[in-house]
Amino acid sequence: MSSENAVEFQNVWKKYSREAIFHKSLREDLSRLFKTASTRDGLSQGEFWALQDINLKIKKGETVGFYGHNGAGKTTILKLIAGVTFPTQGSLQVRGRVAPLLEIGAGFHPDLTGRENIFMNGAILGMKITEIKQKMNSIIEFSELSEFIDMPVKKFSSGMYLRLAFSIAIHSEASIFLFDEIIAVGDGAFREKCLEKISDLKRKSKTVIFVTHNLELLKSLADRIINLNKGEIV
Amino acid sequence: MFPGFKHLLEYRDLFLVFLWRNFSIRYRQTIFGILWAIFPPLSLMILFTVVFGKIMSVKVADYPAPLFFYLGLLFWNFFASSLNFTIPVLANHYNLITKIYFPKEILPFSGIAMATIDMMIASVLLIAMLVYFKCSLTIYALWIFPLTLLLILFTIAISLFLSALNVFYRDVQLASSFLIQLWFFMTPVFYSIDKVSVNMKLVLFLNPLTFIIENSRRCLFEGRPVVVWQYLLMFIFVLIALRSSYSFFTKMEKRFADVI
Repeated sequence: MSSENAVEFQNVWKKYSREAIFHKSLREDLSRLFKTASTRDGLSQGEFWALQDINLKIKKGETVGFYGHNGAGKTTILKLIAGVTFPTQGSLQVRGRVAPLLEIGAGFHPDLTGRENIFMNGAILGMKITEIKQKMNSIIEFSELSEFIDMPVKKFSSGMYLRLAFSIAIHSEASIFLFDEIIAVGDGAFREKCLEKISDLKRKSKTVIFVTHNLELLKSLADRIINLNKGEIV
Repeated sequence: MFPGFKHLLEYRDLFLVFLWRNFSIRYRQTIFGILWAIFPPLSLMILFTVVFGKIMSVKVADYPAPLFFYLGLLFWNFFASSLNFTIPVLANHYNLITKIYFPKEILPFSGIAMATIDMMIASVLLIAMLVYFKCSLTIYALWIFPLTLLLILFTIAISLFLSALNVFYRDVQLASSFLIQLWFFMTPVFYSIDKVSVNMKLVLFLNPLTFIIENSRRCLFEGRPVVVWQYLLMFIFVLIALRSSYSFFTKMEKRFADVI
């Protein structure tokens, strides 16, 4: 792999099952043992290819946007880059620490205050405790939530969650940033600020990868747009 | 033996943050706070002392019964509250597991660490009771530390296995309270194995908690040592269990985000 590439996909295929998304019980699994009829394309009943033969190179410092309908495989690509899931076939390499923007519920605990959640979210993003302490003021300032920061986040609005999440994510020392659809939310002024910050990341030659339905936004931010349709690059 | 260990060290700050979070959530909006670590074993100790001593008139040991019950409950509570925390912990954090990479064992580990701290707090009362009942400790009382280590390692082994399995089959979560209750009766918390038949003893010793609790009473209250070869045998058994459940966990970990 060339050292210039932050992300590299080689013939990546990813299979998912429609059935086992949330919950699977032992009884169902045992009953499945007796009917293992596979079809010709290597898929068992209820399975489908979320990604098909993806070849992809994203250079360091590049800003790439993924565009496509729901179910086109955008989120699966982000998950593969984040290292939470693995390809069924093919291989991929990721160079550098990855920071996804954590959504409501993921990196936040409702009973903890905003300030406490900064510790939790920051640590999940791989920041050290001392580092979080140093950046605390800067994170709060960027989020514009200083009045509410010592309040449990269960009392936050979704816009406030987003501000905090975004602010923490961009303060991490990661080299690859993943934004899944979320930039579309939030009020106009804050959105401007976020976009400004993303351009800032570009200037610091960080790799930014994002996913959205908003083609306008994509065109204004991305160096390159990758169009996905039914798990394939178009 | 545990290849991921060095990698785990990189994430120690995350572990500390999770541990701190567990504590602050649990004791938030409580009046008694940290005293809740002592109440459960204390209340059961009083109950057992009254039921077995006063109502059923059973003599459980040659030393004061509250000591006998409290030590068993201290260890049992650690084990049970660890399992109660760790079995559903991965499934509860599905929105984190599907978003970002981190060593998932940190989640069960933070729960076991919390139970360990609770056990340490609750053991202050044990020390107070030893003073109150004027127990004279011998050098063999130090065996309590290797026995506690064995308990913690065994708890980690069971927790890793069951928490990973629960990601695939939520049956584990549903069965857990019932399973823990069964295990309680198989463990000599409110009885002693001295009085049971040899065959039954062998069956009960398949449960490492039997070995741990029986021997800790023996070295702490009776001033007798643990038989070294028995300890070593048990230690090896626990290490094998730990090693197998750790590799089960890391093998399953790769599929967590897809099936959770």
